[in-house]
Amino acid sequence: MLAYSRSFWPLFLHVLGAMTLWGALLAAAVAGLAGAARAAFSSLLVALPAWAVTLACAFWIASDEGLSDSNATWIGIGHLVLEPGLLVLLAAVGCAYWWRRSAKAVAGRIVAALALLYLLLLTVALMAMSGKWG
Amino acid sequence: MLHVTAAFCFVGGSVAAAILNTLAIRAERPSESARLLRLIRVALPVIFVGVAGTLVFGIWLWHHLGFGIGAGWIWASLALWVVANALGGIGGRHQERARELAERLAAEGDATTAELQALLRDRTGLAISWAAGAATLAILVLMIWKP
Repeated sequence: MLAYSRSFWPLFLHVLGAMTLWGALLAAAVAGLAGAARAAFSSLLVALPAWAVTLACAFWIASDEGLSDSNATWIGIGHLVLEPGLLVLLAAVGCAYWWRRSAKAVAGRIVAALALLYLLLLTVALMAMSGKWG
Repeated sequence: MLHVTAAFCFVGGSVAAAILNTLAIRAERPSESARLLRLIRVALPVIFVGVAGTLVFGIWLWHHLGFGIGAGWIWASLALWVVANALGGIGGRHQERARELAERLAAEGDATTAELQALLRDRTGLAISWAAGAATLAILVLMIWKP
């Protein structure tokens, strides 16, 4: 019944933000692996507001549905991936900026690795949240 | 879980393609446009997995969760799924034409031409791609709203 009673906007924006974040990281990883520094940097800039919308709407949903103090495993995995993920995202943005300025190949490899790492973690989180693990 | 994962591949892959296409339009040199349009091909398998997965697991969920055959929002989602894929395919062919021209110009001195700029910024082509994105977004609205 929860699926039918929850309010539309927080869940819609949470899912849309997460999908945009996932897509922007995919674009950054692909650009990173192909050696396209500007494209990787621009893609990561799209990921930042998407990350903020995803997190803000996660707290909105938790507040609306009384899940703020929940110990459910799937909520824990979501927070464990999303919040520290900002550090991975910021590190990737920093490396992409360094890559654009220096054209050093190692920076590109780090950008691609960080984007792929966060993409993988987000995939685990979305599976945990949609499958309500635990 | 598999239906949602497929939806992330469908929408996320489309977002990646849209970002790369936008950057290709803004690129200064044909070689750069061609490279970014080529990169969209890498996102295509992800989109195809999402397109197939949303349909297969969606129909399975329709049966499994016991929604009736008269569930209008599911029929509307299916219609939008067909529209999104048809428009996405047309938009993709337009991008392929732009990529082919950009690659030819890159090999011939890498100077942009009015023809390439017109093809990259073609209003009809862009409108079709945006309409495909709008149809995909409408599916997401229906899936969460379940009117």
